Amino acid sequence: MNAVTDRFAPVLLDVQDLEVEFDTYGGTVHAVRGVSFEVHAGKTLAIVGESGCGKSVTVQSIMGLIPSPPGRIVGGTAKLRGKEIIDGVTTDGEIVRGSQIGMIFQDPMTSLNPTMTIGDQIAETLQVHRGFSHSQALRLAVELLEMTRINEPSRRARQYPFEFSGGMLQRSMIAMAIACGPSILIADEPTTALDVTIQSQILDLLRDLQRENNMAIILITHDLGVVARMADEVAVMYAGEFLETGTADDIFYSSAHPYTVGLRAAMPTNRDESEQDLMPIDGSPPDLFAPPPGCAYFARCPHAMEACRNDPPPGFAVGSGHMTRCWLHHADCSRRIDDLHYAAAAPLEGRDA
Amino acid sequence: MIRYTVIRLIQGVITVWFIATATFFAMHAVPGDPLMNDKAISEEIRRNLEAQYGLDKPLPVQYVIYIGNMLKGDFGISFAQENRSVNDIIREHFPVSAILGILAITFAGLGGILFGALTARYRNKMPDIVIMFLVILGISVPSFVFAALGQFALVNLNAFFGTSILPVAGWGTLSHMIAPSLVLGLGTMAFLTRLMRSSMLEIVSSDYVRTARSKGLPTTRIFLRHELRNAILPVVTVLGPSIAAITTGGFVVELVFAIPGLGRYFVQAVQQLDYTVIMGTTVFYGAFLVFMVIVVDLLYGLIDPRVRLE
Repeated sequence: MNAVTDRFAPVLLDVQDLEVEFDTYGGTVHAVRGVSFEVHAGKTLAIVGESGCGKSVTVQSIMGLIPSPPGRIVGGTAKLRGKEIIDGVTTDGEIVRGSQIGMIFQDPMTSLNPTMTIGDQIAETLQVHRGFSHSQALRLAVELLEMTRINEPSRRARQYPFEFSGGMLQRSMIAMAIACGPSILIADEPTTALDVTIQSQILDLLRDLQRENNMAIILITHDLGVVARMADEVAVMYAGEFLETGTADDIFYSSAHPYTVGLRAAMPTNRDESEQDLMPIDGSPPDLFAPPPGCAYFARCPHAMEACRNDPPPGFAVGSGHMTRCWLHHADCSRRIDDLHYAAAAPLEGRDA
Repeated sequence: MIRYTVIRLIQGVITVWFIATATFFAMHAVPGDPLMNDKAISEEIRRNLEAQYGLDKPLPVQYVIYIGNMLKGDFGISFAQENRSVNDIIREHFPVSAILGILAITFAGLGGILFGALTARYRNKMPDIVIMFLVILGISVPSFVFAALGQFALVNLNAFFGTSILPVAGWGTLSHMIAPSLVLGLGTMAFLTRLMRSSMLEIVSSDYVRTARSKGLPTTRIFLRHELRNAILPVVTVLGPSIAAITTGGFVVELVFAIPGLGRYFVQAVQQLDYTVIMGTTVFYGAFLVFMVIVVDLLYGLIDPRVRLE
């Protein structure tokens, strides 16, 4: 994967300064706090971060899926090929979600309607967006099931979700999401609820479909192994912000933010000699009812400085297309980022050389 | 499916036999007998009558005779109403009760689903608050109160317009049926509304509705195909017991609205200790309810593929 060609691929989706809040009885939760990113045609952007950091909310707000109230998009823009699409509809009223952007979810077991056949659920998208007749759409649904490598697709299309296994349900979800040939597929933790062998099959399937259809994928995950295997570009999210963005190689081999370094060090390896303990990041993420005034990672950062307490770090370019929000990269800072690489950076399993 | 149906039917027969046995002995345990209501009769006449009706035999023998006759489809002759067989009474009056019950359950079911969906849609807004207030009223006020209030309202309404908009009581035409079936279905409707509301609220925030939204489907399609059908399932489950509630509630409503249904005879029979009529109507109602519950259970399989049986 070449970092330079990534940048020449056309920008499909351009999100700028997205801010999302939730009103709760306890106060306002600042779930997403000014997130910007670009998605390039045919490429995979992975958004990684721990639970509750705002990954899902980011993509769901772009799709117009966050329940409102209590959720609301406070600021920012999301443009698909230059057209504003917040709420899943373009400015001229065209419905984008389901047709130009498809989405799959974490738990395939509960993400399908239990009282509707798989075939009908796939066909439905085609009927609505393409205006196909029911029988026409159903025929195509069978083809889609075949494309996602489900055996006996015509028999399977007549079955209900409870007759499917978890992996097959996720395949059906994928068939449903790509039915209208979307240019972007959002995969919100697509393999978290599946066992490892199935995980691997689903990821292969996603990559093959991406290659065949030149489809961009926004992959949301907390599994760095999955990121290493799938991603062209990576955004590391923490407490509603992107702390570091760059190509997968940038993120893994020249991590520029202490949080990214911490995540890398926390990754278990399966090398024999490394009988070392897991290295967790101490502490827990900040309370998003009242986000800290300075760097969100301040309280847990082993390199925290006085400046980090009250001044939010701006984005520093640390390479072509590689950005990080960390004061360590300020020109006046005496400490250098090389100090961060305290953990032996092991070669990543699953990552192509 | 066929195996399941047969098993359910056999279980149903056992249930009905149990109902018959329990009623028989409970009824005989009540002090007095059907002949007590008549004017003073001499010992001899009394003995003759007892012999004629078989009341002189020991209770277990009476029981065996009764069950034997019942199996032949003969419920015997009424004590209180001369020369009228219980079979005739049921044949003549049950259709009236059945029509009333069907109308009431239709009204309760449709109303419950509609109002339940509506309150869930407008959760914590005005329509929800108003309907939920009425629902609490509907659940807590017994049907005979609504029956009387309904009649009172109808009398005033008819007087106001100077013509009979809806008849206050009686039976015969469709307009006679409206008021009593509304009154009869009201409590059940209120109950179903609550059930539908909570079921709908749960489903609206379910994963598969989110999936449906992510597919860019229009709101009406999501509502009909994804929310409504799944939300109805718990309502269908309680339809069986609801039929029981409506049928028993029907006894009172029939009395208040002067409807010649079976319920009236049932109540009368209990007051007069009319053994054969009590037994006949109880067993018949019991069998009817058991059958309806089986039908509802089979229907459930049509709506929810997960409980469809091989």
